[in-house]
Amino acid sequence: MFKYSILFYTLILFILFPSKSFAYLDPGTGSMLLQALIGLMATLFTTFYIFLNKIKLFFKKIYYKIFKKK
Amino acid sequence: MQKIPGSFRDPSGSVFNYQNKIIRSVSKIGEQKYLHIKNNNIIEESIKNNFLINTFEIDDVFLKEKLNSSFLLEHQKLEYVSYPYEWSFEQLRDAAIHHLNYQIFLLEKGFELIDASAYNIQFIRGKPTFIDCLSLSKYQEGRPWFGHNQFCEQFLNPLLFTISTKVLFNNWYKGSLEGIKNNEIARILNFSLKINPVVFFNILLPNLFDKFSKKKNLSDLALINNNKIRNNFNKNSYFWLIRSLKKFISNIKNPLTPTFWGRYNEEKTYSDINYSKKKEIVRNFIIKNNIKNVVDLGCNDGDFSELCLINGAEHVVGLDYDHISLEKSYLRSKTKNLNFLPLYFDAANPSSNIGWYQNERYGFLERCNFDGLIALAFEHHLAIAKNIPLGELIKWFLDIAPLGLIEFVPKNDKTVGIMLGLKGDIFPDYNEENFRKILAKLSNIVSVSEVGDSGRKIYEYKKLR
Repeated sequence: MFKYSILFYTLILFILFPSKSFAYLDPGTGSMLLQALIGLMATLFTTFYIFLNKIKLFFKKIYYKIFKKK
Repeated sequence: MQKIPGSFRDPSGSVFNYQNKIIRSVSKIGEQKYLHIKNNNIIEESIKNNFLINTFEIDDVFLKEKLNSSFLLEHQKLEYVSYPYEWSFEQLRDAAIHHLNYQIFLLEKGFELIDASAYNIQFIRGKPTFIDCLSLSKYQEGRPWFGHNQFCEQFLNPLLFTISTKVLFNNWYKGSLEGIKNNEIARILNFSLKINPVVFFNILLPNLFDKFSKKKNLSDLALINNNKIRNNFNKNSYFWLIRSLKKFISNIKNPLTPTFWGRYNEEKTYSDINYSKKKEIVRNFIIKNNIKNVVDLGCNDGDFSELCLINGAEHVVGLDYDHISLEKSYLRSKTKNLNFLPLYFDAANPSSNIGWYQNERYGFLERCNFDGLIALAFEHHLAIAKNIPLGELIKWFLDIAPLGLIEFVPKNDKTVGIMLGLKGDIFPDYNEENFRKILAKLSNIVSVSEVGDSGRKIYEYKKLR
């Protein structure tokens, strides 16, 4: 389980750290990880939202088809 | 030309004091960034919207050559530079909100602030203003908020410290110039703050991540592989993070101040004759000597500071140890739009030169540029309560400003009596005769006016050249 969590955070770090930021201050690993997590959550929510809309659309289509047939 | 030492951290430019003007040079590294800011008129717009201090480009060939810079900027010169460890709770809170508002303003225009240093904010007429235009940068979609950690350490954590402990943050901040670290505040926070979602999300969670990554050496791994770029932190998340912090900071309350003076009361609580007499003396002093830059030692709620401004002074720095007085003064300066800067000040231990090379942040005396001093009902707090010898105290007053008013409070005064009652009279040299003798040695005594039945007297002095 621990190995998985290490893998997860390593992945986040790989994803997150930009190549050239020209930032002269240390942004702090914790803060960067937090923002990676927010980013990840935002992506997940967006994906979920799109997926939910697709399902809604799918059922709407069926509903309209039935309605039209009537 | 004098380089201002506090500006050494930013590789994109430096700040100089040149012929009494504040000049910022843009370095080769900062050129591209500055050109982008310039071409989008973002500095002008920031000034127009009261976010940034007055800044304009100057074209001085000699200076450009001397500083090896293609671009030079001139900033409005501040009468007095203050530091976050000298601010009151409300001042730091307003500065934090100003920083976040500016960040939102910039993000909407495709820019951002690359850091979140509280030292980049100064107070002008009771309002926080941003002073470092080279902290502005083009916003890159997906890039996280680099200043988040710094914002927490320099703005949020000191405020949380005071809320949690009911102790002023100033002395800790002065001892730790970069603010209060997340791992430090995490140990101090009370339970109700710990379970607050904003606090948990912005401080406790990053602190846990930080601990975890240090334990596993993850940050080294990441730095080696830092070429993997992925735009992950989108603009909406950026806005959400900033707005949630702004909402939280806007709603917090200073636990040390009673709520009854929430709104500044126009009614004067002072009515006795002595108070009016003191006011008359101060008014005459300011008008007669045409004093422009005043320091009000022990400013209380800023009544005398305002009086100075009404009578021709251009700027007043009010210093006080008492946080309630400070908040009242700040509210006065804010609501009445006064050029009055109240600051936290322990006269027995004033700010000294600190930081890198012991001159990153200047001490109180180094920043003094006052032409007039007011020290009413102040001297005995140092001479009696802090055992400071009269001679040294008077010399210190004269070092602060060449002209001034000092109120001498004799031993038979009620306040001094209480102080001595507890301590015992260990001050054989503390008497008016001695006070006058020492003052006369170092200055011309212009006038002496009695205020009060106990023999309190206000001495007006003019320092000998």
